[in-house]
Amino acid sequence: MNQFNNAFTLFLSLLVEAVPFLLLGVLFSGLLLFFVDERKLIAVMPKNALLGALLGSLIGFLFPVCECGNVPVARRLLMQGAPAPVAIGFLLAAPTVNPIVLWSTWVAFRDQPEIVFLRFGLSLAIATIIGWVFSAQADLRSILQPGVACVIPTAKPVSRQGAEQPISPLLQSGTFLLGQSGRPLRMDASELQADLLEDTIASKPLPDRLNLLLENTIQELRELGGVLVLGSAIAAVLQVFVPRDWILSLGQGPVTSVLAMMTLAAVVSICSTVDSFFALSFAATFTSGSLLAFLVFGPMIDLKGIGLLLSIFKGRAIVYLFLLAAQLTFLSTLFINLHVS
Amino acid sequence: MSANLPSRRRRRDDKRSPRSFSFLPWLDVLAISSWGVLFLKYWMTGKLYLLIHPNYMGLTIVAGVGLLVIAAIKVLVLLNARRRSVPLDPGSQHLTLFPPGWGNMLLLVTAVLGLVVEPRAFASQAAIHRGITDSLVSTRIQHQSFTASTRPEDRTLIDWIRTLNVYPEPDAYTDQKVKVQGFVVHAPELPKNYILISRFIITCCAADVYPVGLPVKLAQSRDAYKPDSWLEIQGHMQTENLAGRRQLTIQSTSLQPIPEPKNPYDY
Repeated sequence: MNQFNNAFTLFLSLLVEAVPFLLLGVLFSGLLLFFVDERKLIAVMPKNALLGALLGSLIGFLFPVCECGNVPVARRLLMQGAPAPVAIGFLLAAPTVNPIVLWSTWVAFRDQPEIVFLRFGLSLAIATIIGWVFSAQADLRSILQPGVACVIPTAKPVSRQGAEQPISPLLQSGTFLLGQSGRPLRMDASELQADLLEDTIASKPLPDRLNLLLENTIQELRELGGVLVLGSAIAAVLQVFVPRDWILSLGQGPVTSVLAMMTLAAVVSICSTVDSFFALSFAATFTSGSLLAFLVFGPMIDLKGIGLLLSIFKGRAIVYLFLLAAQLTFLSTLFINLHVS
Repeated sequence: MSANLPSRRRRRDDKRSPRSFSFLPWLDVLAISSWGVLFLKYWMTGKLYLLIHPNYMGLTIVAGVGLLVIAAIKVLVLLNARRRSVPLDPGSQHLTLFPPGWGNMLLLVTAVLGLVVEPRAFASQAAIHRGITDSLVSTRIQHQSFTASTRPEDRTLIDWIRTLNVYPEPDAYTDQKVKVQGFVVHAPELPKNYILISRFIITCCAADVYPVGLPVKLAQSRDAYKPDSWLEIQGHMQTENLAGRRQLTIQSTSLQPIPEPKNPYDY
C-alpha cells in the first residue's frame, strides 16, 4: 500500500511539473501555426543541402512544436516546396531544438547542465546529418506517400502569391503529374480542396483564427495530456515496483543502459516538452549517456510518431530514418558513456 | 489537411461529426478545468511542497489558472450558438492517438484521483528502496552553494552530507558538535542500536528526490524510535566501522521528537 502511495505521489509530481510546460508548448505552437506563414521561411532557405539541413533543424526556434506538432508542419513545408534536407532537419530537430524544450530540460537537469547542452547539440547534429543524407535522394516523391508526393511541386502557392519559389515548368497547369518514377500522379479534387482550405488559414479573420487556436489548444491538451498521463504512470510504476538491483544492473552498464533507454523512449512516446521529467526519474540509476539517448532519440522516433510519420513517408523511408537516428544516437551516447562521463 | 490523408488514417472524430452536438466538448471542459482545480487545490493546501521544488510552484499555479481560463473560454464559445459553426477543424492537423473521449476520460479520472487521494511525502521505505548514502548520488553534480565557514552545530543534515562530499575522511570531523533534523530509518544493514537520520533532497520534482542520511548511535535499542518519526538529534561526531566501512556517525546525546515539517524535503 505504501508502495502504491509512493508511486501515486511520483506520478502526480511528474504531472504537476510537466503540465505547465505542456500547456506552454501547446499554446506557442498553436499561436505560430495560425499566425506565421511558413512559406516566407521556405523562400529564404539556402539551396546547399548541408546548410539547408542545419537551418531546417533550427526552424524549431521559430516553431516550438513538440513531436506531434512537428509532423504536420514538416508535411506542409514539404508540400510547399521546401527542399528535403530542410524538411527532414526540421522534422527531426524541431521537437528538441526549441526554446520551450530547452527550458524544461534545464528545469529538470539543473544539476547536470551538460545534459542540456549535449541534448541540444546531439539532436542538432543528428538531424542535420540525416537531413543531409536524405538530400542524396534526388526524387523525394518515391519515398513519400502519394498524397504528399503529388502536391510537392505544386505551383499553387507561387501562382497565388506571385512569389519566390522555383517553379517546375511542367507543373504549372494540368491535372496530371508525370513523376520521374514514370508513374503519373493525379491531383485529385480532394487534395486541391484541402490545399485551398489550408491556404485560407492565414487569411481568416481574427476571431476565426482565435477560435481555431482554442480548438487546437484543447485538442492537443487532450491528446498529449493523455499520453503524458500514461507515460508518467509508466515511469512511476517502473521506478517504484521494479527491484532496484535489477534497474541498477541494467542502468549502470554503458551499453545496456543506452539500449534500455532508447527502447523506453520509443515505447513510452512521451511528448518532448515534458520528457526530461520522465528521464529525471531515472537520473539516479542510469548513466548520463543513456539519459541523453532517451532525450535525443525519443523526440525523433517513437511508436506514436511512427503513426504520424506515415502521413508523410512510405514505410521504407521511415525505416531509413529510424535506423539512421538509432545508430547515430547509440554511437554518440555510447561515446559519451565511455569517454566523457 | 485531413482530406489528403489516406482514408484509413483519417481522424476518427472527423470534422463536424458527432462533436458539434455530443457531450464530448463538455468533457473537454470538464477534463481541463479539473486539472486547473487540482493544481490550485495543491497550491492552497500546501501539497505542492510534497510534489515539486518551490522554484517551479509559480509555473504550476499559473498553469492552473491558465487551464481554468481555457475551460471558461470554451464554455463561452459553446454557449454562444453563433460560434458553433467552426469553419475548419484545426484538429485535422493532427492524427488522434485515442478514440474520441478517451484522452479526456484519462485526464479527468487522473485529476479526480488526485483530488481524492492525498499525495504523501516519501518515507523510510522509499528511502531504503532508493538506497540512502552519505554521499550525493554519483550521477549528480555537487551543489555550488556550499559554504565551509558554517559552525558544525549549525549545519543541517544536508550541509553535513555536502561537507562530507568535499572532504570525505570521517576522522576529520571527530568530536565536532552536531544538531540535525530528519526522519528515522531503520536500515537493515545496521546493528540494532543504530538508526539512520535522513532527509530527501529534491531538485525538480518528486521523481528525482533522493535520500541522504547519517548513522546515529543510540544508547538503547532503536525500537524506541519508530521509522518515519521526525527527530532533532544532538551529539557529536565520531568514526565507526559500520556495514564493512568506516563511516561518520553521530554519537547522540539528545533525541527530541519534532513534528513533520510542512516541507519535508531539502534542497
